[in-house]
Amino acid sequence: MPNLRQLDPNFSKEVLAEPGGESLLLCYSCGTCVSACPVQWMNERYNPRRLIKMAVLGMREEVLSNPVIWYCSACDLCYRKCPQKIHISDLMRAFCNLAQRGGHKPPRVAARVNERTCVACGLCAEVCPYKAIELVNKRVLGQGKVVAQVNEFLCMECGICAASCRSGSIDVADFADQDLADRIKGWVEGDLLPVEAQYER
Amino acid sequence: MVDAARHPKIDIRTYTEVERVEGFVGNFKVKLVEKPRYVIGKLCTGCGLCAPVCPIEVPNEFEEGLGPRKAIYVPHSQAVPLDYVIDMDNCIKCYKCVDACGKLQAIDFSQQPKERWEEVGAIIVATGFDVFDPSEIEEYGYGKYENVLTAIELERLHNSTGPTVGQLVRPSDGKTPKNIALVQCVGSRDARYNLYCSGFCCMYTIKNAVLLKDLYPDIDITIFYMDIRTPSKGYEEFYQRARERGIRFIQGRPSVIVENPESRNLYVRVEDIGLGRAIEREYDMVVLSTAAIPRHDIEKLGEAITLTRDASGFYMEYHPKLKPIDTPMEGVFIAGAAQGPKDIPASVSQGSGAAARAARILTSDKWQIEPIVAYVWSDRCWEAQGKKCGICVDKCPYAAISIEPGKGAQVQPAICHGCGACVAECPHNAITQLHFTDAQVIAQIHALMRHDPESKIMAFMCHWCSYGGADTAGTSHFEYPASSRGIRVMCSARMDTDFVLEAFRKGAGMVLVSGCHPQDCHYITGQQHAAKRFERLARQLERMGISPERFRVEWISAAEGAKYAQVIREMDETLRALGPEKIHEENEKVRPELERRLKHLSQIPHVAEVLESEEKHAELAPA
Repeated sequence: MPNLRQLDPNFSKEVLAEPGGESLLLCYSCGTCVSACPVQWMNERYNPRRLIKMAVLGMREEVLSNPVIWYCSACDLCYRKCPQKIHISDLMRAFCNLAQRGGHKPPRVAARVNERTCVACGLCAEVCPYKAIELVNKRVLGQGKVVAQVNEFLCMECGICAASCRSGSIDVADFADQDLADRIKGWVEGDLLPVEAQYER
Repeated sequence: MVDAARHPKIDIRTYTEVERVEGFVGNFKVKLVEKPRYVIGKLCTGCGLCAPVCPIEVPNEFEEGLGPRKAIYVPHSQAVPLDYVIDMDNCIKCYKCVDACGKLQAIDFSQQPKERWEEVGAIIVATGFDVFDPSEIEEYGYGKYENVLTAIELERLHNSTGPTVGQLVRPSDGKTPKNIALVQCVGSRDARYNLYCSGFCCMYTIKNAVLLKDLYPDIDITIFYMDIRTPSKGYEEFYQRARERGIRFIQGRPSVIVENPESRNLYVRVEDIGLGRAIEREYDMVVLSTAAIPRHDIEKLGEAITLTRDASGFYMEYHPKLKPIDTPMEGVFIAGAAQGPKDIPASVSQGSGAAARAARILTSDKWQIEPIVAYVWSDRCWEAQGKKCGICVDKCPYAAISIEPGKGAQVQPAICHGCGACVAECPHNAITQLHFTDAQVIAQIHALMRHDPESKIMAFMCHWCSYGGADTAGTSHFEYPASSRGIRVMCSARMDTDFVLEAFRKGAGMVLVSGCHPQDCHYITGQQHAAKRFERLARQLERMGISPERFRVEWISAAEGAKYAQVIREMDETLRALGPEKIHEENEKVRPELERRLKHLSQIPHVAEVLESEEKHAELAPA
């Protein structure tokens, strides 16, 4: 049970001041977002209504250290249905920004670029829905080279970059081409791989 | 209704629209247009022989389209008067009804709309509400899935005079549903559609649930709600009873309803707030409790009667607490859902109240009004001289002014509320307000600015809000400097720009213009006129060379005593910071310009005398 004396009464003000967090106090907890959310469908721990309630109450650490705040995929299915017009994906982004400044990291492994084979065509940066990839100058194997770089705070592990990369230089953890091939094989043969079991509801 | 129809002093005009209203309290003239029924009311006995022979069947509006009606019909079996009417949009003119009517000869295809003017003493507007169309809300699938209904449709489906003679069946297959979901707040309490709470849906949904439970004890009923609102007498007990009857109440707003294309059952997905988890359940039927919205023709009738509307679109009462039945138009009252969504007991109370308020007018030979109405000097009015102007007509919040050819602007004193907007806005100073004439206000300015004006704040206050605010500051003992001098007028709309200029000409250190907050203005749009006027004036003053901080506009309510004290404190500080020398210097610099702008003052009746006597005072005053 949260100890009310340990709550941070200024946390909601902090969220309100963060871009995207302006509508925090409007929520009247109808739960439309929760039942509309496809992420919630896969992982019950992600409950945007409860996160908003926690933030309003001032449960600073519980919200910012909570790995689920990074789960919102910004599909905005909830925003279209919210009776208070709260832009929940923006609100979650505000939580994430505060968490990042508080030294928290997203609970996932961002897409990895194989800098040796990357040809800096920029296709991945163009297709990334979260604008998490940019082309940067880097020293690779002692030589200056332009390569794609993934921002680990923005990457949502969707894998669009991996699928679009023509030189096969980007992979998403657990979803590399070989992993997927193994998994398909596993489905066909009927047994689940350990990584698959992890994603079971 | 039947009693009302039989009452010797009640005259019911159905199928009639109000097109125009003229006149004023006790003396209204109303233009009515009676639409043709094509059936002569006096001859029709309501025997009903015509309807069965009519070959046309169209959806019945009273049954929410769930049942048919003929092209010749009565709206419903309890209609008053029980006269048939022909729906000309669908009639094919086969005249079978004329044959069926026979010797009565009650059917008359040659009828035309009839216009007539009636004289009435008071008007009560009780036009009710419309129901929100939930097909706008895509995720609930109304109109797409047959078994998603509105609550009104459900009411007809279990009514013994309804299209199914009281049998609850679902539209897709005619079977009695075994489990029903009732969804609350559809289109209300939703920022996308209507922000307000319709207020009575919780109760009628619980009523429907209890009724269905009585009719079908085995039925499984779930009510999805955000908040159950049952605040009136006996309502909470009724809610309690529904819970005891085994009706399931789940807090949570469904996010999506999906149909099973084979069984035509519906899956409702919702987060159960108590449980903290998203759940999904299958229902045979889903019923949406839709919002009450303003009637589709509310604007047209409002324009005819000169009624204002609130942010939700319902008719606006004169004052939300003290005059909830009156409207800004004296002699016009509102009752029921035309003023805002409300349930039957509240509508009955408001209707009775409106009748009593109206009776007060009808039983009086004389009607007293405040003696502060506007008055036009016809010899100064441009319209009387045949020139185009009409500004006062536009600015009057009550439509009390009309232009008569040759006579110019005419104020109807019974409609005028005495805000003074027309007085301040008239560019030719042809209108004055009794007890708040230009001469009177200017004399007050002179008196207050006679000694040491450079160290004083001239404060103009409106009667209802900021004067009340200053009063509250006093009675609450909020301290503020003694440098302010106040003048009260009825509304900030009365504050002529000339008053501000005259105050500066007389050497005022600071000028404060204050009034109600826009939503609180006691004269509908008075504050808005003032706000626009002084925004313009502030720019002009700055251009003339008066420091912008010396002229301030503030909206202060009667409760904001602390704000009034704060504003005066801040202005006093600024005044001291500027210092009397700087102010004197500025005043001397702009004096020629001010005098040029105020040249017309002496033309206004009685003002010249005031100016003269002030000059004498100045001569007599000790140097």
